[in-house]
Amino acid sequence: MELEALQGINSEVRALGAQIVVLTPELERYTRALHKKLNLAFDILTDLHLKTAEEFRLVFTLPDYLRELYKSFGSTLDRFHDESEYRLPMPARYIIDKQGIIRAADVNADYTIRSEPAETVRQLQTLAASN
Amino acid sequence: MASLQERLDEFKKSFESGAPPYNAPHEVIETMHRATAELKATGIEGQALKVGDRAPGFTLFNQDHVPVASADLLRQGPLVVSFFRGHW
Repeated sequence: MELEALQGINSEVRALGAQIVVLTPELERYTRALHKKLNLAFDILTDLHLKTAEEFRLVFTLPDYLRELYKSFGSTLDRFHDESEYRLPMPARYIIDKQGIIRAADVNADYTIRSEPAETVRQLQTLAASN
Repeated sequence: MASLQERLDEFKKSFESGAPPYNAPHEVIETMHRATAELKATGIEGQALKVGDRAPGFTLFNQDHVPVASADLLRQGPLVVSFFRGHW
């Protein structure tokens, strides 16, 4: 849903001179399929072994009991991520300015809570107005 | 169109009802709630990079196996970076 929501604001984001990228630990064969399926206008980048997510300090390890649960659903992260430790990034959306400084940060440990894409557009407008 | 949070709430309601199409057992829902509560309790949200911090640079492969560098993108303008756990 996050990806579809970002797709929905992509033209506004581009009009403000900004771009969207999505980072996921998933391997390229999965990002390629997902990108095609959703017909996305921005890139999905494979953050292999969560190296960049780690630098943003977003990575956590799934507890054993949840690993077993996901396995029972048939979700095996080692296959999707080439990763045996069952680590994931917290859902997060950042705005980074041209100087490389974080100007908005939306991080939530509860993956069912996300900030609205419209809020991201407003933040980009504020950023554009301040430059 | 419904907002992102409204759609997420709708999904959550449907999943947690235990009804089709997900048919999630009560124990599964409890387990997921427990995991989220435990993760929040670790304080991990407060450790993530925040406003004012310098963003780490990255060069990663996109879906077409083309390397994409954050430095190149930032030369063109601000960047929205979304971390996504995956499609599963």
